Amino acid sequence: MKILVVDDDTEFCEAAAMMLNLLQHEVLTAHSLSDALNCLEENLSGKDPIEHVLLDFMLPDGSGLHLIDVAQKFSSAPFITLVTGHPSVKQMVSSLAGPNVNYILKPVNKQNLEAALLGQNTNAQQYEDFGVTRHFDCLVGESLAMQQLYTMIERVSKTHANVMLMGESGTGKEVVANAIHNASQPKGKLIASNCGAFSRDLIGSELFGHEKGAFTGAINRKIGVFEQAQDGTLFLDEITEMPIDYQPNLLRALETQQVVRVGGTKEIPVNCRVISATNRSEQDIAEKQVLREDIYFRLAVFPIRIPPLRERKEDIPSLSQLFLAQLNHQHGTAYTLSETQVDRLIAYDWPGNVRELKHAIHRAYIMADPASQEVSLPQSFASPFTKNSTSGNNPLVPGQRIDDVERELIKVTLEQLGGDKPQAAKMLGISLKTLYNRLNKYGDCENDPTA
Amino acid sequence: MKDQETMSTLVHNARNPLNRISMQAELAKMMVTQGLPTDKIIAALDKVLQGCQDCSAQLEEISNHVKQPPE
Repeated sequence: MKILVVDDDTEFCEAAAMMLNLLQHEVLTAHSLSDALNCLEENLSGKDPIEHVLLDFMLPDGSGLHLIDVAQKFSSAPFITLVTGHPSVKQMVSSLAGPNVNYILKPVNKQNLEAALLGQNTNAQQYEDFGVTRHFDCLVGESLAMQQLYTMIERVSKTHANVMLMGESGTGKEVVANAIHNASQPKGKLIASNCGAFSRDLIGSELFGHEKGAFTGAINRKIGVFEQAQDGTLFLDEITEMPIDYQPNLLRALETQQVVRVGGTKEIPVNCRVISATNRSEQDIAEKQVLREDIYFRLAVFPIRIPPLRERKEDIPSLSQLFLAQLNHQHGTAYTLSETQVDRLIAYDWPGNVRELKHAIHRAYIMADPASQEVSLPQSFASPFTKNSTSGNNPLVPGQRIDDVERELIKVTLEQLGGDKPQAAKMLGISLKTLYNRLNKYGDCENDPTA
Repeated sequence: MKDQETMSTLVHNARNPLNRISMQAELAKMMVTQGLPTDKIIAALDKVLQGCQDCSAQLEEISNHVKQPPE
């Protein structure tokens, strides 16, 4: 997008231009009203017009409002975002002519800037949700892993590509689907459906709908999820649980972008982004053949891996505080988490991910001692499910041979890093040569083309 | 009334360095994520630190203003 930044504060202009450049936009700057008007006139009539203006109110040679008037006279009028430190501007913006004007309240950050560029007025909301920033109105976390996820969501939201979300149970696949939907701002709705919950006989009816009388019990016409998601997003959770013999029907709908209701004959055009999700890894999908290869490539045009909570432990404090604040708000209480309690939450690996953390906070809230105003964490977070998982993750047993432990450590490190040996050597604190020597010794290099 | 105006000017002046801190911190984060050269990241972080100093000076001014006896 081509953006004009207008402000007499050169440092603000520079910083805003750099941020916008890093967000892959083309930026022009102007430091006065007359400069800005000239720039608009030069650029609005050309082939590559300015699409958005970030505008300061108070310019040395006049008011930014004058520029809004002028800009709206052009046939390709740009969207205008007023940048201000005064919350009172909100009322003024709502009274300004035209829907193409919004505002950003200082301090400016990536989130309110992105929202403004999407034409939203979400500035005030970021502080309302218990002090926690929600990216794309739903995702919480500022860790590097989440920042990378936000970048991917941003990129894919500008396309119509189908997305496959891969992540462990409890990582929030549906929330990420919601984020992609919010970022894309399609005309239609987000429709979520769980392929694992479909009865085998009714999959066709769920996906494509049915006509009245199509089968016993079909007393009315039913619209399937593809049609419901018209011009929007269809979220198919647990896609790998769909019976493989039914997948060709789904493939046909994806390829032709048309569906036929069960018992019907008419081909109905459908237009929606399909976001599918699975808790299986790509390797598992291929090995266990739970998804046909042709359908995998149709659905996973843009695969996104959602990081497990243990890979973004720095987000645990803000997530815990958010969950606790929601409970406090719901019940009119003011329980808190102490620093020691937060440290304990960070120390645990959360194999059940954010869902498990949320339940743990809820339990701690129920167990809270009203006298101390602090929630009460259990002695151990382990659940029947986590026990299996932790014993698998922690194979150390007394008397185990050091060679075996070392070999296991190297194996899990390489797995974690996707086979990146230089990075693994660095992480393990050994030289790359030593790592290769060990792998040769174990015979792990024999089938490794990178060795 | 005049007192209120002065106060809102002082608060407004404090918002500028806060905005600089926010933008430069955000820039530094984006530069780290996108693997930009360290000198650029350090330059952004220096501006964050300078913004903190400026903000502190503005808060000091507000504090002095509050301490002044009413005219």
